[in-house]
Amino acid sequence: MPGADKETDLSERIESFLSELKRCGSGAGSLRGSAETARETTALLRRITAQARWGNAGDLMEIIRKEGRRMTAAQPSETTVGNMVRRVLKIIREEYARSRGSTEEADQQESLHKLLTSGGSSEDNFRQHFAHLKANVIEAINELLTELEGTTDNISMQALEHIHSNEVIMTIGRSRTVEAFLKDAARKRKFHVMVAECAPFCQGHEMATSLSKEDIETTVIPDAAIFAVMSRVNKVIIGTQTVLANGGLRAVNGTHTLALAAKHHSTPLIVCAPMFKLSPQFPNEEDTFHKFVSPHEVLPFTEGEILSKVNAHGPVFDYVPPELITLFISNIGGNAPSYIYRLMSELYHPEDHEL
Amino acid sequence: MAGKAGKPNRPRKADKDEEEQPLLQAVLVADSFNRRFFPITKDQPRALLPLANVSMIDYTLEFLTSTGVQETFVFCCWMASKIKEHLRKSKWCRPTSPNVVHVITSDLYRSLGDVLRDVDAKALVRSDFLLVYGDVVSNIDISQALQEHKQRRNMDKNVSVMTMIFKESPPGHKTRCEDDDIIIAMDGKSKRILHYQRAQALKRLHFPMNIFHSGSDEFEIRFDLLDCHISICSPQVAELFTDNFDYQTKNDFVRGLLVNEEILGNQIHMHVTKDGYGARVSNLLMYDTVSSDTIRRWVYPITPEANFADQEGQSCTHSRHNVYRETGVSLGHGSQMEENVLIGRNTMIGANCTISNTVIGANCVIGDNVTLDRAYIWNRVHIADDVKVKQSVICDNVEVKHGVVLNEQCVLAYNVVVGPDITLPEGTVLSMHHPDEEDDEDDDEFLSDDNDVGYRKDKTKQKGSLFNPAEVGSEGKGYRWKTSSLEDTEEDDRAQFTLSNITWISQVYSNCSFPSVFQNEVHGTLQRGLDENISCDNLVLEINSLKYAYNISLKEVMQILIRVVLEFPFHQQGAQISTAQYSSHLLPVSMTLLKKWAPVFKNYVKRPQDQLDCLASMEEVFLERETHWAALVKVLMSMYQLEILEEEGIMHWFNQGSTTDKSQQLRRNQGLLKFIQWLQEAEESSEGDE
Repeated sequence: MPGADKETDLSERIESFLSELKRCGSGAGSLRGSAETARETTALLRRITAQARWGNAGDLMEIIRKEGRRMTAAQPSETTVGNMVRRVLKIIREEYARSRGSTEEADQQESLHKLLTSGGSSEDNFRQHFAHLKANVIEAINELLTELEGTTDNISMQALEHIHSNEVIMTIGRSRTVEAFLKDAARKRKFHVMVAECAPFCQGHEMATSLSKEDIETTVIPDAAIFAVMSRVNKVIIGTQTVLANGGLRAVNGTHTLALAAKHHSTPLIVCAPMFKLSPQFPNEEDTFHKFVSPHEVLPFTEGEILSKVNAHGPVFDYVPPELITLFISNIGGNAPSYIYRLMSELYHPEDHEL
Repeated sequence: MAGKAGKPNRPRKADKDEEEQPLLQAVLVADSFNRRFFPITKDQPRALLPLANVSMIDYTLEFLTSTGVQETFVFCCWMASKIKEHLRKSKWCRPTSPNVVHVITSDLYRSLGDVLRDVDAKALVRSDFLLVYGDVVSNIDISQALQEHKQRRNMDKNVSVMTMIFKESPPGHKTRCEDDDIIIAMDGKSKRILHYQRAQALKRLHFPMNIFHSGSDEFEIRFDLLDCHISICSPQVAELFTDNFDYQTKNDFVRGLLVNEEILGNQIHMHVTKDGYGARVSNLLMYDTVSSDTIRRWVYPITPEANFADQEGQSCTHSRHNVYRETGVSLGHGSQMEENVLIGRNTMIGANCTISNTVIGANCVIGDNVTLDRAYIWNRVHIADDVKVKQSVICDNVEVKHGVVLNEQCVLAYNVVVGPDITLPEGTVLSMHHPDEEDDEDDDEFLSDDNDVGYRKDKTKQKGSLFNPAEVGSEGKGYRWKTSSLEDTEEDDRAQFTLSNITWISQVYSNCSFPSVFQNEVHGTLQRGLDENISCDNLVLEINSLKYAYNISLKEVMQILIRVVLEFPFHQQGAQISTAQYSSHLLPVSMTLLKKWAPVFKNYVKRPQDQLDCLASMEEVFLERETHWAALVKVLMSMYQLEILEEEGIMHWFNQGSTTDKSQQLRRNQGLLKFIQWLQEAEESSEGDE
């Protein structure tokens, strides 16, 4: 039966993606960029849409939500996965609404008036069957994929507006987005980049090598020197793992120090973050926010006797509160941290915040 | 195979492609073949004991899967059905699993050697495979080691049979297991192991001199290595275990290979890693360290909250100071989880407890004012109020009553009840099994977890003997065992260790052994061959194996063979026989012997040099028996006719300047001269023909 074959093929793909997610980032940071993860997730969701058995939008959303929950549980620190699931859910909602003939606008805006008049949940409406819904949804997901392909380019295109000649830029660790951003600017302008090495994983070293290959004047500084060097810096440009719902960041270790130093010297702090990093999560102490890896880098395993006497921790992320951030540069333009909530409501449906 | 012989680029490339294609296989030995975990392992095989609330075998399988192993053979013996059941339910047997797990069970496995012999017999492995135990916890990335292993095998045509993985950890490191302290001498460049010795309880170390003469200019003697018990083996390893049926453990194997390296030509290499984590839970002390290492995230990404085993409801959260909580945990007022704590689902903890460095399983109930430090509490344990536990293991369904104090290194095996108000001294082991049940088996040759199946069923349980309240408390249930198994003073293993030492020494001894013994053996073999009419192929095989056993060179083999055959009649008839008798005997007996064994000789006499050696030894034999010189010609003649010897060889030998008078005399022997003349004529005539 070809149908059963398809089904097993699909579940195999999902399993392998899950196990890959679980294993990725075993060392410092993630092995792949989150852009790649986002693309892979979306492609997988498209496959689910195409191959799974569903009769109406409600069923499909249920399937996607279920798989999405498993995917996010596999690697809680990789928020991109959850974000992509929410984007796809939103697409399904929109396509369903369009098929029903109601305008997107009307469906999207939850005005007080509407809440009062409509009553009941909107969920039960998703039971209607539309023959062309599948094609439409897949079409829309394809559009999303194209958008994802172009994010880094879209961000780096704006580089010349922000980086001027003979400026001193500081960055921390290695972010593929920032790397592309700086390289793009370097084509036209001359500037100096300071890279904080981001101990103990020292992704900063990689970043510096990569930048200097493009003939960008680069200096690597230890994390402890961030404050000392800050007075000379014109702009701080950093990447992030996640943009939180309040406009704060979850970024590599040491970013908070950097942001505080920038604030002290009133140096603008610019965050390059594609839209898919926007997550409806709020910062709290709970479970998934932190990620601790093996303390090997902090205190090598070969250290011997001392290991039984001390506790070593290897945290990966820092929280940066929104008041320290000047500007977000995303693929759709620059935004202030205070505007994040608005972007959030455009991208995700409120009912999908909790998968 | 033709491609391998030819060195040019193309076939080599094809070879490489071929070798990369076969899927990576692993052999997982889910039995320890010792009883370090006794009496816990009486009820549950070691591979299924929970480590940080996940069965140990799951860690091993996860490690294998993440290194890209696609097919795993799990060998179990002791309580195989339990392991099978566990695996059947686990994620490894789901159809989507990237690692196909086959379970192979047999009650006959007594050691690692048996398992590998079975691997060979069933021809399970097709290419290089990983060999691990079911209690290895690791996250080492072995792809590099695997690459090196393959390269070595491509380069040296299968000389290297095994790559052992070591983790660098200096002496005094808590994850170092005293049993596994090893000293290794290695070649610094090629990473070849030259000498391997367990250092446990050794005050003095010996290194054989020959390891320093092996032609390398870089040596390392290392004591800072932790054996991860992960090795990359080529299929030959299984074959070698079959060939050497006395190999029981990996230790035997490594030592055997190194000692016989020159003869068998096999080498062992090593890979030392600095990153990653790898350790084997080989005793309870290691259980303690590996558990705490897991909780402290040294094995990342295999951490408790990752729920890598993918079990329902096992998901837990990780918060500061490495505190892990599964779902449904309730913590009483004033209770503190200080650091490195893992608490299983639906466990209830009372008020004012202090918990640190502890693992608690699922569905446990813990009372008020309990202090737990380095305690390993498994599932469904009830602990009443005011209990103190320090560095102890408490197994499933144990009940600890009010006011009990467990000192360091106590073990409460399954279903034991302790208390109330009793203090167990350091190193107490309590079990529901009576220790006397074990006495008979202690004499057993194979000291393994798994040999008491029969005994336990036969034995009528002596439940008549009541529990001693002084040992377990007034309401307690359980018997006290003599020693703590947390301390790894295992006499049986020591005994085994010394035993293997002795065999090793005897091997060394026989290495410099005497040809005379060999001669006797060959004589016996041939005699038997004659009596039982054994085919020549088998005789050759037997002589070959004797050659290896006594470390005899090929030249010597031939000399001795000649001597044995020529002296055969003497042995049969007694030494005092006349020439006539000799030749008459040698003619019918020895000639038929020679005829019969012509293939044996032909096997050994191949090159011209061999012929010379053969003739020289023949000369030697006859020099010792002057009276029988006449027979020499006849022997030579028949050897010539059987095409064992050729004209050139004989002529060369004859013309060779002889050193002693006697041999010159021999050469002047009438019969011999005639024979030589005849040979010369024959040669000339054959040349004339052409």
